[in-house]
Amino acid sequence: MNELVKQQWLIPFLPLVAAAVQSLLPRKARKLSAGICLTAMGASCVLALRAFVGTLGHHEAERAVWNFVWFDYGTTRLQLGFILDPMTAAMALMVTFVGFWIFVNATGYMSDDENFTRFFCFLSLFAAAMLGLVVANNLLMLFMCWELVGLCSYLLIGFWYFKPSAATAMKKAFITTRIGDVGFFLGILMLSWQAGTLNLYDGGNGALEQAGKLAGLHGWFGWSMATTIAVLLFIGAMGKSAQFPLHVWLPDAMEGPTPVSALIHAATMVAAGVFMVGRMFALFTAGGSAEHPTFAMDMVLWVGCFTALFSATIAVGQFDIKRALAYSTCSQLGFMMMALGAGGLVPGQFHLLTHAFFKALLFLGSGCVIIGTHHEQDMRKMGGLRKYMPITFWCYLIGMLALAGVPPFAGFFSKDEVLLVTFQRSKVAWGLATFAAFLTAFYMTRQMFMVFAGKWRGGHHEPHEVRWNMWLPIAVLSVFAIGLGFFGGKYEHYLGVHEEELHGKSLVMGLSVAVGAAGILLGWLMYGRKTMAHAEEPDPLEVKLGALFTCLNRKWYVDEFYDATIIRATMLLGEFWRVFDNRVIDGILHGIAWTAWGVSQVVRWVGDEFVINGGFDAGCEGVRLTGREFAKLQTGRIQGYLRILCLGAVILLVIWYLK
Amino acid sequence: MSVPLGYYLMLGGVLFCIGLCGALTRKNAIAVLMSIEIMFNAAILNFVVFWYYLHNGALTGQMFALFAIAVAAAESAVGLALVISVYRHYRSVDVDEMKALKG
Amino acid sequence: MNIVFLTLSAIMVLGAVLAVTLRNLVHCLLALVVFFLGIAGHFFLLKADFLGAAQILIYIGAVAVLILFAIMLTRNISGTEGGRSSLGGAWWLGVGLASSLAGMMCVFVRRSELVTKLPYGATEEGVVKEIGKLLVTDWVVPLEIMAVLLTAALIGAVVIALEEEKKR
Repeated sequence: MNELVKQQWLIPFLPLVAAAVQSLLPRKARKLSAGICLTAMGASCVLALRAFVGTLGHHEAERAVWNFVWFDYGTTRLQLGFILDPMTAAMALMVTFVGFWIFVNATGYMSDDENFTRFFCFLSLFAAAMLGLVVANNLLMLFMCWELVGLCSYLLIGFWYFKPSAATAMKKAFITTRIGDVGFFLGILMLSWQAGTLNLYDGGNGALEQAGKLAGLHGWFGWSMATTIAVLLFIGAMGKSAQFPLHVWLPDAMEGPTPVSALIHAATMVAAGVFMVGRMFALFTAGGSAEHPTFAMDMVLWVGCFTALFSATIAVGQFDIKRALAYSTCSQLGFMMMALGAGGLVPGQFHLLTHAFFKALLFLGSGCVIIGTHHEQDMRKMGGLRKYMPITFWCYLIGMLALAGVPPFAGFFSKDEVLLVTFQRSKVAWGLATFAAFLTAFYMTRQMFMVFAGKWRGGHHEPHEVRWNMWLPIAVLSVFAIGLGFFGGKYEHYLGVHEEELHGKSLVMGLSVAVGAAGILLGWLMYGRKTMAHAEEPDPLEVKLGALFTCLNRKWYVDEFYDATIIRATMLLGEFWRVFDNRVIDGILHGIAWTAWGVSQVVRWVGDEFVINGGFDAGCEGVRLTGREFAKLQTGRIQGYLRILCLGAVILLVIWYLK
Repeated sequence: MSVPLGYYLMLGGVLFCIGLCGALTRKNAIAVLMSIEIMFNAAILNFVVFWYYLHNGALTGQMFALFAIAVAAAESAVGLALVISVYRHYRSVDVDEMKALKG
Repeated sequence: MNIVFLTLSAIMVLGAVLAVTLRNLVHCLLALVVFFLGIAGHFFLLKADFLGAAQILIYIGAVAVLILFAIMLTRNISGTEGGRSSLGGAWWLGVGLASSLAGMMCVFVRRSELVTKLPYGATEEGVVKEIGKLLVTDWVVPLEIMAVLLTAALIGAVVIALEEEKKR
């Protein structure tokens, strides 16, 4: 293991090299580009497998690290490092393996796109960033890769940037995750300040190995320092793993090509948050016990639990095949977070692994459906695809059963463990999660019947089966979606965590099977017995639920809520600062009389806007106005900018002088 | 030689600010570039001064100055090429007219 | 206080001030050359002979000539355009900012402990040979990178200056 860890850097390095090479290839070199990409990913996968095999057979949770000095500045020594422990090895193997098959699928999905090489370049970089994040033994390196993952998702979601919706979605994803990253970065700074190092493990001196010490220090709001840092880090994970209330970017990320959705939703982007919480688990638990968990753990638990239920309800009301799956991902990520929050590191990470396989399967399957139906994404305009696309149908069915938690598919085992560990912590959370599991089974059944059952509702173009390079990946992944669950017990042993005997095992398992079956049964009753005849026919659920269904379909109006509150508030603040700015600068230029007038303007304006014109229909106008006003600051004259820079330098020096 | 370090530093600072003043006020782009050269030279002078006064056997200060001179040469070549290109485009080298980046 | 230092500094400051204030660009350039020479003189004074030589070669031999070419090519020697002044609109703002920055710098230099700690420099011998050795041993990688950078700048300058010509 100590030898293997020194080769860990190769795992992210190979896709990185592939990305670098592809960035130089001409656009016509499609075959070469795909070849390089697949070779690099395959080689990484072999390396990951070797590392994985190397970690087998160690009964205790053994960990090998390899730190090296990046550079010195002053007396501080900045180190980077790599880690090899069971969690890393399993994760790296999953990312490379699932990633490899997603790449294979992408060669089919993107075969008509003229920017094929650019796509594969980004894809390689994405995989490299995620792998770097997994093998990093240093929070700084993890953060750099974390940001790279964000950048790549931005580039890939907006791959078809000429579509306005894609351009909006890419910005939304970037900005939303960035809000979380502020917390993450603050957490890193606090940790660096308190622990004096950002190495996670360093022979007793690493940041995580000092978790006990940090738990003894006082942080914010009466929490311990460890909890404070953990909460800040979790805010970052909330953005990346799309937890409520920062989940809004994930469904919009559907604007990217489908292989990207598969990559984001299964192997890379969203997994990063859950993985990071698992990696920093020592900080989250430090200072708490099973009876009195820390605030950080409670936060993880309840945010996860709420997201799981909340997103599951939204998924019920979606008509876009990928959007429904996107909310399902949100919900499943909630499950993982909930398990972590309940203290179950193993169930959380195990669900992450199994989910990656069957969610990649489902997304790639939906990609096949989209290609097979000539770029149709509305489930109401599908139907009867079982006849036209048999291979896709069977694989999709396996994925759906795994997600719905039907034994003996992979999802059943991992979800069962999640529910079991939650049951130990909180009966309420467990109840809500069980209901979310019921909804999961229901919406997946709904989707199956809408897409594959009945007759074709999509018009003249008949759907067709996809080519081998698209169905082969989902066939391979479906094997794992069936078989992976049986390794749950082994995985626990492999991670070296010995958990005490959990009570209520049979009750939880029985109920979980029962709600799964109930969900599927309800889905069949509503969608299976009588399939939709026309694309315009209302959804049976819509008939039953009425306004509530509209609410679900509109995603509980979260986006609208954000538009009306946060975005509008930001605009108002921007407007305020603009007025403030103009008045103050004018004040210097034109004297005190102007300033007095400016203040009165501000007061008048604030009163006017807030009290009288509070309705949010003015929001759009506010956006445009603020943009126009801010644009005025951009005079394009370099000397103006230089003057401001110089002014800043003088002010800083004066402040320093007066200090 | 008996010049205290402070005088050299003040000389460097004053020269830098003269250059800055030119870069802030001149309208001709070539004049702005010349002002920037003055700023560069003031900074390079500081490197050498510190090398001289902090002298500890290493030549790092001189090396830095040498590389800074080389970079400044590259900068002025590209900068002047840009000025000529801009002149061809706008028929003027007035920096106030170069505001295509206006928002 | 050294008379050579004072004289050199006075010439340099004068050259710099003229370079940023004169209206005729060729006159500005000549003042700039004086300034460059002053800097080189200071380098010699500070026992950095090699740098002094490099300063004269590069700045006066290359950069100044380059600037002269640019002035000629843009045919705007007077520095004025259509009767407008050579200074931008808010020139007093620039002057004010720059002089306050200079003032602050001097204040900080006076306050600095380093100045009292290192009042006078040590006498050093010429180290040209040493520089040559270091350039091909410890500093060889930066040297190579610098070579690439200069090549890139050369090509870049040619490409930028050619671009519009080709389109026409």
